[in-house]
Amino acid sequence: MAIKRREFLGHMALGSAVLTMPAFLQGCGVQNATAVSQATPENPFMTWFGVDQATAARVMSELTARGADASDLYFQHSRSNSLRLEDGIVSSASSGIQQGVGLRVVIGEQTGYAFTEDLTMPSMLAAARTASAIASGSAVAAPQAFNPQGTGDLYTTTVPWSDVGIDQKLPVLKFVEEKAKAMDPAIDKVAVYWSDADERVMIATLDGKLVTDHRPMTRLTVVVTAKRDGEVQTGYSNIAAREEFDWYSEERILTMVKEAVDRTMIQFEAIRPPAGEMPVILASGASGILLHEAIGHGMEADFNRKGTSIYSDMIGKKVAEPFVTVVDQASIPRERGALNYDDEGNKAGRTVMVENGILKSYLHDQISAKQYGLGPTGSGRRQSYKYSPMPRMSCTFMEDGPHTKEEIIAAVDHGIICETYTNGQVQIGAGDYTFYVKNGWLVEKGKITAPIKDVNIIGNGPESLKRITMVANDARLDTGGWTCGKNGQSVPVSQGIPTVLVSNMTVGGENVS
Amino acid sequence: MSADLQNRAAQAVEMAKAAGADDAWATASQGRDVEFEFRDGSLEKVKDTTSRSLDIQIYADDRYSNHQTTDLSPDRLEGFIAEAVAITRALEPDEHRQLTPAELFSGRPTDDLDLVDSAVADISRDQRLAWCESLDRVATDHERVISATAGVYDGTLNSASASSNGFVGSHAQTYCWYGSNITLRDEGEKRASGGWYAGGQHVDALPAPSDVARIGLDRALARLGSEKGPTVKTAMLVDAQAAGSLIGRLLRPATARSVQQGQSFWTDLVGTRAFSEKLTIVDDPLIPRGFGSRHFDSEGISASYLPIIENGVVRNLYVDTYYGRKAGMKPTTGSASNRVIGLGDHTLAALLKEVGNGVYVTSWLGGNADSTTGDFSLGLRGHMIENGEIGRPVGEMNVTGNLKDLFSQLELVGNDVHPYSQTLSPSLVFGGVDFSGA
Repeated sequence: MAIKRREFLGHMALGSAVLTMPAFLQGCGVQNATAVSQATPENPFMTWFGVDQATAARVMSELTARGADASDLYFQHSRSNSLRLEDGIVSSASSGIQQGVGLRVVIGEQTGYAFTEDLTMPSMLAAARTASAIASGSAVAAPQAFNPQGTGDLYTTTVPWSDVGIDQKLPVLKFVEEKAKAMDPAIDKVAVYWSDADERVMIATLDGKLVTDHRPMTRLTVVVTAKRDGEVQTGYSNIAAREEFDWYSEERILTMVKEAVDRTMIQFEAIRPPAGEMPVILASGASGILLHEAIGHGMEADFNRKGTSIYSDMIGKKVAEPFVTVVDQASIPRERGALNYDDEGNKAGRTVMVENGILKSYLHDQISAKQYGLGPTGSGRRQSYKYSPMPRMSCTFMEDGPHTKEEIIAAVDHGIICETYTNGQVQIGAGDYTFYVKNGWLVEKGKITAPIKDVNIIGNGPESLKRITMVANDARLDTGGWTCGKNGQSVPVSQGIPTVLVSNMTVGGENVS
Repeated sequence: MSADLQNRAAQAVEMAKAAGADDAWATASQGRDVEFEFRDGSLEKVKDTTSRSLDIQIYADDRYSNHQTTDLSPDRLEGFIAEAVAITRALEPDEHRQLTPAELFSGRPTDDLDLVDSAVADISRDQRLAWCESLDRVATDHERVISATAGVYDGTLNSASASSNGFVGSHAQTYCWYGSNITLRDEGEKRASGGWYAGGQHVDALPAPSDVARIGLDRALARLGSEKGPTVKTAMLVDAQAAGSLIGRLLRPATARSVQQGQSFWTDLVGTRAFSEKLTIVDDPLIPRGFGSRHFDSEGISASYLPIIENGVVRNLYVDTYYGRKAGMKPTTGSASNRVIGLGDHTLAALLKEVGNGVYVTSWLGGNADSTTGDFSLGLRGHMIENGEIGRPVGEMNVTGNLKDLFSQLELVGNDVHPYSQTLSPSLVFGGVDFSGA
């Protein structure tokens, strides 16, 4: 049963979206490594399938034979590899090839979609006819030739992953295990998960653009289990980027390993905080999860053009203090959420969602941009050729504010600091969102007093934005491997934030009197 | 179809052997999926796709790896498999990595699971549109409706597996789901939303679209005026659908893998009374038309009835062959089929009366649990229970505790199973639960 049973929950949870770290704790399903490699040509469609301009034009013409406002062909070839170390040995590897073409016709707000993994002319023409069935008009003039767009330079690599053998990767996993075990005698088990991927896409559009993009990705995760006096605790850390093998410096790896060990060992001392409403300090970096859930999803324009988001009628209004500026930016070199072009072939860039406290712009795909009479923001993304694109985030962060981390901690009489997270979720219409805090600290009378663990935090998007009362000057992007899920599609994202104070949120906890 | 896939799987095993593998296991899959989405009176999206893939597991010199591709052109497939064998040889040896022993294939049930409805392949565009229109008519029938999206999802999945030690097997099932998501104008900028979907393998077993949309609209209407609930320790009544997801969190670390890796609060629980005696959970793969029904699991282990918890006593874990060998546990199955929760004799109304005052949870929002310790904290939406009745809608609340403790505090079990799930759970009542809110 290799084709997974349809993820109905994904469809049914329309209006809700989730953000997660990898599910390695439940069994890693990712992919693996290469010893001898069939070199992947830079444009596999041309080399392997003879898909040239004339072929694309012929398929596009069939796709638009019943009319179209827009249409695109999304060719994708993705080669992924993964390795797993458990109990001291690297005894499991996976690899995967995902190859196909997605064909889309858009008329107004209507979309017809089909894909095929068989890149022969008859098969592509059949898929084109299926997708075009949504339309019932007369043919539009499809381009006879496509205009190649310049390739982007956000994540250019010198050595593709297909040229990196297992013999190079295996020592990295061994090194991680060795260093983790050496850091504390209580460390009982160490598991290490490696993944890398080379994804190549070619997008041909009805308005004649031809976009190609080579998107590398890699992620390294360590999971640590420690035993002390019969008690067991587990913690982890990971790093991810659109990078190549050389990125894994000893220093970078050691920082990750130390994080995982620290996060595990502190849990032996950690308590659950008292339950209820209190001030919450969000530590810099991964706390960008607040922005992803509290505002990012609600600003995706598909929800707003349908009127289903709490932010649907709020553009131009004051939503936060003047020192709050929130940005979604794909053009940050080598970040996990970075993109040269979005999956509709538009140049991906920078969208300011909140500028000095004022709600400025939604994240658009072509359908919503047209409906709002705006240019695209380059936010149309899809999981793969199997899906039609929709507005999504890339790297979401808050810019620096006027305060310092020390001032913020000193300002809290009784509250918590949130430091590491596993996942979050949002209800688009009501604006309620949550994130799960794995590690944090209790703050009493302006001082950090005790470690805390395992609490969910829940708030309301617009209310939380209003309650951001202090923003420090230490903004940074998190290096973790975040994946965002929406309507059954997963895409890699990044997030970041400076240290921030939210004056009141609801903290899960125990000891309710 | 089945014969083609079976041949494709067998050929892949042959290719692997020819490339030097000692053993191999291959699965060839094919699926057709159709989606219709309809919003506010018109068709918004039609997706119609056929997909295929090949999965192969390679065993060579006590080494193991697995691979998947959607590129099935014969010349490239041969290269892909040869490379897969080379990848395997580059790994470290592990004596526990072995193909599923053939004795676990024996005794495969032949029950008719009734998972295929030939009518699904014949569902017409007009039929899907008629369902959408019917869903839309009911879902939008309220003055507060801002937007309603109706969806129809149907298709067929086929797969066949073969192994170098003689496994041959195939699986086929159809599905058809439909329902609506509805957004309503609430106070200020807030929107209340809710929805409902029904589905199954058989088209004729589905409730009328208008009935499905009515439930969805009622669920959305129930959210109007929702406010933040209180910080309180009280009883928690979890409705049947939300209970299925809570059971999923409880069982996630009930595996040989989690235990062997030191990441499970189920370690050493087999044979002990770890939970409330009201709790019984069985993994039953042979339920006709069950969402998780099957004759064999993904490793080829023949399907059988597997008690997990009987009256609070832990009987079995999910044990696959690899982690079973490592942990010295006899394999059961590594993957869940249908999880059946033993029923109580209370209707939902009777449960509400018994609880008197507490919190009624109708859905979760985010949250997580630590598999190693069982500590959990979840966001929730629902209603206050006041004097045995469903009261005001609440949200923006968390429930926090430990899963092992929580399921020891299971006090009452309903008889109202949520049918559209692989986990067949009724409503559950827990005593003395910590809620955080205002």
